[in-house]
Amino acid sequence: MPMDEKTKTLQEDFEKNFADLELVIGWETGFDRLHATPVFIRQPSELGKLVWNPLCSQNLSGYLAKNLDASIQEDGKKIGICVKGCDSRSLVALIQENFIDRKRLYIVGIPCEGTVDLRRLMRLNPSLKNVRKVDIEGNKAVVETDQETLRFPIEDVLARKCLRCLYPNPVIYDTIIGTPVKPRISEDKAYTAVEKLDSSDRKQRLAFWKTEFDRCIRCYACRNACPLCVCQDNCIAESRKPKWLTQRDGIREKFLFHMIHGLHLAGRCTECGECERVCPVEIPTMLIKEKMNQIVKDMLDYEAGIDPEAKPPLLTFDPGETGI
Amino acid sequence: MRGKTFIAHDELPEVLERLSKAMDVWIPTAINDEKYEIQFLPYQSDRLPVLDRQSTMPPKKVIFPQVETLLHFSRKKDENNPFKSHIKLEDEEEVSPVLVFGARPCDVRGFLVFDEVYLNGPYKDPYYAKRRKKTLFATLVCETSDNACFCSAVGSGPADQTGSDLWIIPVDGGYVIEALTERGENLMPEMGKDATEAQVAEARDVQEKVAGLRVGEADLTQNSDAFEDRFSDNEYWRDMAFKCISCGICTYVCPTCYCFNITDEAKDLDGERIRSWDSCMFNHFTREASGHNPRPSKLERYRNRIGHKFSYFPKKYKGMIACCGCGRCIRRCPVALDIRNVVLSLKKNKENVDVCK
Ligand code: SF4
Ligand code: SF4
Ligand code: SF4
Ligand code: SF4
Ligand code: SF4
Repeated sequence: MPMDEKTKTLQEDFEKNFADLELVIGWETGFDRLHATPVFIRQPSELGKLVWNPLCSQNLSGYLAKNLDASIQEDGKKIGICVKGCDSRSLVALIQENFIDRKRLYIVGIPCEGTVDLRRLMRLNPSLKNVRKVDIEGNKAVVETDQETLRFPIEDVLARKCLRCLYPNPVIYDTIIGTPVKPRISEDKAYTAVEKLDSSDRKQRLAFWKTEFDRCIRCYACRNACPLCVCQDNCIAESRKPKWLTQRDGIREKFLFHMIHGLHLAGRCTECGECERVCPVEIPTMLIKEKMNQIVKDMLDYEAGIDPEAKPPLLTFDPGETGI
Repeated sequence: MRGKTFIAHDELPEVLERLSKAMDVWIPTAINDEKYEIQFLPYQSDRLPVLDRQSTMPPKKVIFPQVETLLHFSRKKDENNPFKSHIKLEDEEEVSPVLVFGARPCDVRGFLVFDEVYLNGPYKDPYYAKRRKKTLFATLVCETSDNACFCSAVGSGPADQTGSDLWIIPVDGGYVIEALTERGENLMPEMGKDATEAQVAEARDVQEKVAGLRVGEADLTQNSDAFEDRFSDNEYWRDMAFKCISCGICTYVCPTCYCFNITDEAKDLDGERIRSWDSCMFNHFTREASGHNPRPSKLERYRNRIGHKFSYFPKKYKGMIACCGCGRCIRRCPVALDIRNVVLSLKKNKENVDVCK
């Protein structure tokens, strides 16, 4: 189904169901047509703002856990939310951890052909201007500007997380928009980036991370954008009591922060890529979580955010556990 | 005054190399070929300036480092009295002269905002002052604005030379350089060879063309009172800040955000008192020792960000807006929150406010 049609179906579906909803969380066009932005709709007359296209990269599920009380049922009304495949996994993880109540949600799932990484697109095209529309057609990302229509191979412009995505189809939903899509890779290719990094020796790996983290400005966007980083204002990165990190900008502090972030997401990270997308200095922070997830998969045969009934391994303890 | 000079594209590394012998030269550059984001870094022979797009991080840290040591302290136990110790403080740090090559008019304007607070007020910040005094700006006339830029809407513009020492104008095959201050003039002998008449003429055309551009449609300079009127409209601020995820990006990428924190970082008997960037978007920014926080939610925090830049600051400092319109906070915001919309909506009736943008 083309994007415009999906957008229309999306709007119509919420219109039909609005009587049961107190709020709809989706995306709308941002400050220009190359940027989407989250939108919170409380009036049915505003549903026309909703869009769906490959620029809708924000994972909206974090708002449920961090900004809204999504656990109490009032007046039987629900919160409507739009999710891509990866976003739906975050929802599942949040439901598993009791941050949100499934019954409180009306989930509209969108089978996803991938989101565009604006940095990758702009790098190919630093002077790209007056974009009107971005769409995906098969193996091409199609960018329409006021002047011309450009086509890029998707490997060059999709977000890294999308090129390795195994769950482009929402794993939890009430309504699905359009037909399911096929993952772009097979399961055995999911961790190639991690494997590639692992194949370099220890010194090289350390050098790699030192160079990457050196740029970190400790803005904590990676943490705050993460739907599952739920400690927020009580993070070890800023706490002075207990004091784990100083305010210095050395590699030690940054390293520790990222290691803790990674560790707290082991077996919880749903690989939505938000941490990596939002980083203003382009640090591939998701690689750390991918590594953790790879280990969890190998040792415990568990993938985060798939089954709402499953218990995430680090949230449980089995005295009879073997293999660790 | 010496005339204008010309640096051909392939001569630029040589020029920067020469300059960097006498001073620290900072350039906007990419980390490596695979990265898109641009930062200001010290020039090295394997690093070339990238001038075709605005840098992600402004050159703020050149004068206002993210972390700066204010003083070192060390304690020594008194040999005769175990309850007493002697403290030794050291605070002298020399700074070298600096040239920022390839800044943009908005980057430089950021420091004009800083100056009001750190230099021109009743308290002079010695740390800021010593770096500021030794820093020169070679600024690029800006031809590459995008949809987030709005420098003309806050009283500046893409050809604004205020605060710059040298002026860089891209022409066919390279750059024409012009001195704007005496300190800039002193560097002219290093800035390539004399420009030809044709190059000078082309540069003049470029300058005129850019000076005629208006980047950002609205006028965002007259919102001080509107902000005060809206101050207690909680619904407005709740809706405006609803999608904000309270990160530090907008303040850290902002050339005009100057707030800092001071902490003592010690191990055993020795340590440093440092000052580091702070962000009003962080929860602990105004958290008091008692635990009370007068800005407990992002509503109050976001309101402060707007109020500070568009109301408190111009009221205190001769109408100057504490925003240079660089658009970085819009472009880099994870949720594309548009500060222009928030400021413009201050004057609108409730019915016409588009909260969702
Ligand atoms: S990771 Fe998968 S579901 Fe998520 S945006 Fe990319 S392709 Fe879509
Ligand atoms: S760690 Fe990154 S990829 Fe994983 S859930 Fe959080 S934001 Fe998404
Ligand atoms: S988003 Fe990037 S710069 Fe900010 S704290 Fe995370 S890794 Fe560091
Ligand atoms: S960058 Fe955006 S999300 Fe982050 S604090 Fe600023 S306005 Fe909020
Ligand atoms: S508030 Fe935004 S547009 Fe204004 S100077 Fe700061 S980063 Fe630039």
